Amino acid sequence: MISDEELLDRFAGYGVDHDTAAHLRGRLARQLLINRCAECGHWHHPPRPVCPQCWSTRVTAEPVAGTGTIDLTVFLHQGPPATGVDYSTPYPLVAVELDEQPGLRFTATVAGADNDDVRIGRRVRLDWIERDDVPVPVWRLEEGA
Amino acid sequence: MISSRNPLRDRVAFAGAATTGFVAANTGRSQASLAAEACIKVLRECGLTAADVDGICGSAPSAPHVQAMLGIPEVTWFANPMIPFVNHVAAAVSAVASGLCETVLAYHAAYRLPWNTGSAWKDPFRRQDGAGPRPLNRAPDSFAGSVGYTAWASRYLHEFRPPPETLGYVAVNDRSNAAANPAAAMRAPLTMADYLASRYVRWPLRLLDMDVAVDGADAFVITTAERARDLPNPPVLVDAVALGMTDKNDEDQAPDLDHHGQQVTIRALRAKSGFWIDDCDVYFPYDGFSIITLNWIENAGWCGRGEAGDFLKQHWDAASNRVLIDGRIPINPHGGSLSEGGTQGSGHVREAVHQLQGLAGERQVAGAERAIVTAGGFFFNAQGVTLHRG
Repeated sequence: MISDEELLDRFAGYGVDHDTAAHLRGRLARQLLINRCAECGHWHHPPRPVCPQCWSTRVTAEPVAGTGTIDLTVFLHQGPPATGVDYSTPYPLVAVELDEQPGLRFTATVAGADNDDVRIGRRVRLDWIERDDVPVPVWRLEEGA
Repeated sequence: MISSRNPLRDRVAFAGAATTGFVAANTGRSQASLAAEACIKVLRECGLTAADVDGICGSAPSAPHVQAMLGIPEVTWFANPMIPFVNHVAAAVSAVASGLCETVLAYHAAYRLPWNTGSAWKDPFRRQDGAGPRPLNRAPDSFAGSVGYTAWASRYLHEFRPPPETLGYVAVNDRSNAAANPAAAMRAPLTMADYLASRYVRWPLRLLDMDVAVDGADAFVITTAERARDLPNPPVLVDAVALGMTDKNDEDQAPDLDHHGQQVTIRALRAKSGFWIDDCDVYFPYDGFSIITLNWIENAGWCGRGEAGDFLKQHWDAASNRVLIDGRIPINPHGGSLSEGGTQGSGHVREAVHQLQGLAGERQVAGAERAIVTAGGFFFNAQGVTLHRG
């Protein structure tokens, strides 16, 4: 496991702290880890130090299936500079309801899709790309869904 | 849980409100200089000196900075709430009602910074301020901050399928109103065709759906109703204040459009307030993004869910190219965030005070006695205040 110092260095510009470190370490292994309560099983995101449902501190970052449905969509026609992001084709950003729990969402871009096909209700699955030497989670549209 | 307790009602008043006016450009001034100008102006209009102030409330510059800058000798209370500005109103009114202090100088300096406009990077002094709080995901892969409103705009359009003009009514109404406001940053006439031709910044929102980053400040004197009656301008009494928030307040975690801070704010105001929309003379729904305005109008009960576009069209006054509900009630008569400037709610509160004081100049709503301000957005910043003439 890499040190906290190295984690901070790798994820420059991200919100890195004691509550998000496990999630970000998961990304280095291309695993999407979401906080789950060991006592009541409730998932939550973004990572918090206690379960908002039962107040247990036994919260651990656990892998999710990486499948879900698009709930919210934005296409950025402009935005902050980012490696490999060219806003001349509007950059899609979507909040996806994960299959693990109603209302549990994870936000990321959609890779490899025609923007016209990126719509609320579409099924997606998780994939990873590399940006500035760290894996970045992205969504890919499921065929015909 | 919503309590109807409201012991502060009619015990606290706005004695005055003042503004520097707003410009959509990086002035060669500091945020503190803008705040100082507005603060000095409002104190002079109220006939007060620095020694009359015993409470200070504002975000940036901090209360200690303002106290030192203005030589306010002693205060017994101060606070630095986060925006939008009804947070400041709630804090100041509570402090006066409870006796922590008697006369609060409240201020908000809108300032072009990297978090609200990329152009702020051109000013090296402003550049130091950085891009604001850091979410888990690095930009652009996050809905944290202003992008979150665009995300929920997509949901609104998906659920209600309104015609493309729907959001445009908010933008055109604001601009037509701003024409009569010398303090406004954007006063050139705007047509629906102009709106529909404006470029997308973040689909589905266009440039004209987004507030304009400005330099400028508002300031207020908030004191006891008794003290306000002895000051030169008519007092405006605070009827009720609410800051509504739910647990799912991360931008991408709100359950849906019917369960966020706006519904809580409205329920709380209706439980505490002595009046509601049937007795309102001027309405101030927040408009940092046009989509927020549609949701406030619906949640406040002016019309049903998904009907705000039809409502605005139905109450459109063709002669003045703006909304007049029932031919009489204007919405954001100062031009709102989209045209007066992005004041994070202080402009809405200032105009409400001026309207109820009868000091709104050519924008004056005849006989205005009651105003409702519903400020802020959906997540951690929905809030409202009801005001009436003293």
